[in-house]
Amino acid sequence: MSLVVVVDFSPSQWHLSSQQQPYPLGLSVFVSQLLVFLNAHIASRHENSLAVFGAFPGKSVLLYSSADPPSDTPSNDANSFPPFKIVDMTVVLEIQKQLETLSDEDDEVPSALVAALTKALCCKILTRALALPDPRILILSVSPDQTASYIPVMNSIFSAQKLKVTIDACQIYGPETVFLQQAAHLTGGSYIYLERRDALLQYLTMAFLSPPSVRQTISVPTLDKIDFRAACFCHKNIVDVGFVCSVCLSSEYISLKTKFPIKTLQRLNSARPSLPSSTPPTPQKTNGRAPSTPVRSGEVALGSGGLPHSGSIGSAQINGARNGLS
Amino acid sequence: MPSTLPDDAEDKNLDPILAKPHALLPFLQLQSATALSRLYQSPSSCLSIFRLLDAVERQLVMNLLWLDSAIALSTMVAWVIQDKKKVYDDALDMLSKLHILHINLGKLSLKANFKTSLRHAITGGGTTGSFGVPAEKDDKRPPMDIEGLDGYSLERWETILHFMVSSGTGQNPTRPSQGVLYLLQRSGLMSNQQGSLPQITSAGFQFLLHPPHAQLWDLLLQYLHMAEERQMDLVEVLTFFFMLSTMELGREYLTENLSQTQKAMLDDLRDYGLIWQRKASSRRFSPTRLATTLTSSSPLLPTSAGTASTSQQGFIVLETNYRVYAYTDNPLQTAVLNLFVSLKYRFPNLVVGSITRDSVRRALNNGISADQIISYLITHAHPQMRKFNPLLPVTVQDQIRLWELEKERLKSQEGYLYTAFASQADYELVLNYAKQLDIVLWENNSKRCFFGTLEGHSNIRNFIERRTSGVD
Repeated sequence: MSLVVVVDFSPSQWHLSSQQQPYPLGLSVFVSQLLVFLNAHIASRHENSLAVFGAFPGKSVLLYSSADPPSDTPSNDANSFPPFKIVDMTVVLEIQKQLETLSDEDDEVPSALVAALTKALCCKILTRALALPDPRILILSVSPDQTASYIPVMNSIFSAQKLKVTIDACQIYGPETVFLQQAAHLTGGSYIYLERRDALLQYLTMAFLSPPSVRQTISVPTLDKIDFRAACFCHKNIVDVGFVCSVCLSSEYISLKTKFPIKTLQRLNSARPSLPSSTPPTPQKTNGRAPSTPVRSGEVALGSGGLPHSGSIGSAQINGARNGLS
Repeated sequence: MPSTLPDDAEDKNLDPILAKPHALLPFLQLQSATALSRLYQSPSSCLSIFRLLDAVERQLVMNLLWLDSAIALSTMVAWVIQDKKKVYDDALDMLSKLHILHINLGKLSLKANFKTSLRHAITGGGTTGSFGVPAEKDDKRPPMDIEGLDGYSLERWETILHFMVSSGTGQNPTRPSQGVLYLLQRSGLMSNQQGSLPQITSAGFQFLLHPPHAQLWDLLLQYLHMAEERQMDLVEVLTFFFMLSTMELGREYLTENLSQTQKAMLDDLRDYGLIWQRKASSRRFSPTRLATTLTSSSPLLPTSAGTASTSQQGFIVLETNYRVYAYTDNPLQTAVLNLFVSLKYRFPNLVVGSITRDSVRRALNNGISADQIISYLITHAHPQMRKFNPLLPVTVQDQIRLWELEKERLKSQEGYLYTAFASQADYELVLNYAKQLDIVLWENNSKRCFFGTLEGHSNIRNFIERRTSGVD
């Protein structure tokens, strides 16, 4: 099985996460638990392949790939399994190298999660001719949705579907992300919003370690509700109802010069379905003139099939992971 | 011939590992709890055994690995999809038989020593040294490179197989060492007749058609059985196998930290091609690819004399007219093909032959089954063949199976014929009794006789005696 892990290393978000109460989770603890998870993946089968991409502010970097492992292998000791040692050393060194090169201005730049996801889809271990069965991508994110990246995310989802790649997503800190929910849902993966950050490793192991074939026996948490909202092309806002011209499919006034009677708009507005209060309002500018047909409606409830929700992992206690790595 | 048969056979071949547990696991189940708990003290053994498990079993172990307290059975079951409950139960059964899992008062946990060792294996650390002590680089005598190791292990391994396949054909291939010969005879792959050369048995023919990984484990299992008789410590033997399987290819390791048993094993393993040593007294050894892929399910075995890629991908083209084209120059592969193909031409890189009734019957008489022939052809099919679905021409597959059925037209079974009953009533009474016991093989009402199995005879005799004495 091949697994590509895309990790969000936004320094500002990780700083916030380490101070969030309850269950603070700092970057160093996260990395040590991540390494244990990566080792567990390699441990499962001799031929498992692995790649790790890091999303840093404004750039995305390949941290490790089993397709071309680093040439200078670390000196070995008798107490550790050589492949684990290579992965651990390479990933930690690369993260340090990347974090050191960041300047202060970079803190404001959002991390290039989508760029990393796109690179992951082009990664050798997913695309090469004799790829192993059950290819997967796991996204570990701490940043909120960047609405500007809606189209690249959707394109990535479509190419993942075409490559038969499952995308799993875990939001470790920050608000729920709409795009990752959709990515997981559309590719048959699992999305988890981490409620108990102290049990990260247990969540990773139970929900994201098993390949799709095992998930037919031991289930993984599924979402009861998926946020299907899209971002509008004009202002990159996440909207639940958009208005498009039925003739030219334009959603925006720039390309459409015709004026429409205000009454039509009022009638359409009154016909809108009632929405959850949390959803942001429709962009104001469209009110001026848009002719319209509602194209999307908000949250869709999916049957959960009586399976446990991700919350039931949370009670698990972990401590082994905190022993750290040698 | 039902049309689904070839497909089924193909499915089984594509995933033999998922279909049945690894050959070593039943052997481990037979070991005592104390022996297993000694074995689980070594992180490398835990890691290797973990790898040999089925995917569902691995996931269960992982789910429990980082938990400090036991988890209720009902909590675990909640995660299982209802239709797959049996798979889950089988997995729990297997794990508890291996003494990995501990079920007590409806609570589920990993055995403490297995948990500790597997945690150590995954996070690193500890002082067990179970992954082998690597040797310092010695500039004067650099370690054997990976190609050299592959060549060495291939040469050793093919010597064994080639010796088996050409025994009895009058050729005189290189003899493997005495230890290997003894192992082959003990495992029943070659017959052991005093004063003559060992001959391959029908088990041996079947062995030749197995995938290389299964062959290796067959021999190692036999080695383990022999180890018990040779008064070797089984746990140390197993620990050493698992240590080898977690070692790094192309690196040298020191023999100093090995126990006496393990040092004695070095000689045997050198003969099988699992390790390489500069000379027998050397204090260093390098594991070969045969050793480091022991726990892999699809081994990247060092390949034949050709380039590495071709024979891994397969070399056999089979046409609907029963013609076989094998792109190989490897004498071993040619010899194995010769078991069930009548070879016609031989070129530097190509062997041409055809599957005929005679050639298949010869194979069947040697104890090879039709399924084994078909699975061998599937595993070694040329990449060009993989474009077809089904992979092998259905006509050829069916014909091979029909030839096998042809051989099974007559079946012999020992038993007793009951005849000369006094009356129809007597006959029916005894017959009904025999039918209740399900021991009737054949019956003829008009002649008042029937044939029963050997095992059922005493029952029937007693019954008849009771009847006759009752009447008197």
